[in-house]
Amino acid sequence: MSGRVIVITSGKGGVGKTTASANIGVALANTGASVALVDMDIGLRNLDILMGLENRVVYNLIDVVEERCKLRQALVKDKKLPNLSLLPAAQTRDKTAVNSEQMKVLCNELRELFEFVIIDSPAGIESGFQNAVAGADEAIVITTPEMSAVRDADRIIGLLEARKDEIKEYRLVLNRIRPAMVKNNDMMSVDDVLEILSVKLLGVVPEDEEVITSTNKGEPVSASENVRSGLAFRNIARRLRGEDVPFMDLDPQNSTWFSRIVKFFNPAVRV
Amino acid sequence: MQQVLNWFFRGATGTVRETAKDRMRTMLVSDRLELPAGRIEMLQEELVAVVSRYFELDGETTKFDLQQFERRAQLIANFPLVRSKC
Repeated sequence: MSGRVIVITSGKGGVGKTTASANIGVALANTGASVALVDMDIGLRNLDILMGLENRVVYNLIDVVEERCKLRQALVKDKKLPNLSLLPAAQTRDKTAVNSEQMKVLCNELRELFEFVIIDSPAGIESGFQNAVAGADEAIVITTPEMSAVRDADRIIGLLEARKDEIKEYRLVLNRIRPAMVKNNDMMSVDDVLEILSVKLLGVVPEDEEVITSTNKGEPVSASENVRSGLAFRNIARRLRGEDVPFMDLDPQNSTWFSRIVKFFNPAVRV
Repeated sequence: MQQVLNWFFRGATGTVRETAKDRMRTMLVSDRLELPAGRIEMLQEELVAVVSRYFELDGETTKFDLQQFERRAQLIANFPLVRSKC
């Protein structure tokens, strides 16, 4: 087998890399694909928590790299999906514990075992990021519509462009969209961000409190039906598999009598 | 009352969203070019000086603009000429 190695990265911290990694991993596994999730945030291990697997971690990525265990021993199988495994980060080491060459070897070993290898990159553009992208052939850039996050995403896109030979494709996931605020012209829209970054769109995820609840339960939201953010992540997984899935309509349902009257006077007004 | 009317008839321009978008565009153009502050103004002065040796310029309408096309920056300069100086 020669699987696809996809790195999930953002530059800025706290925009949803780990949440996206967990959810895209689960959604891909639910389509029947075999998936490995790799936590590259060495020293700040978190992906195991989102997956609800924190009690099952025995070995980690650094143990594999330093040959204290076999790759298969370090992989933690998901509770519900037998075709989904997690390779946890080390919690007591730091980003210098691994280098780019070792990551390339590890990624090539993983792609022999899985159809999809999803790498959760740490924030920043230093060695942690460089290691996370080292073995990847595709990237997902994740950002929110805030100015600071968009600026950092642009920097990451620049760095990915410089690696064109290895990173064949990169696409954007716009996270935490608040449709009501966009409609009120209080924040940038999906189209605004796409225009500014000049990048291909992979998915749009609405702001959703369910994400917090699901994290607390250790069950990624993409596994639950009837949750908007979950559907958004499932759509992303389908697009990654080459399906042509239309983007979600995020317009808030607010056609009240008042908004209709305002619109009657001036159709340009966005209520 | 005026404020209420303004609110009713406001369009998408002059909104927080537009402000953010404009700031973003300007910021990213300089980021991508690794452009130090003031460098464009410096270039503008020098170019105006060079063109002024050959032409009388309509200084009022001389325009200098950095724009984004795909992920490339473009420098758009507009020098309205009044007459030749030779």
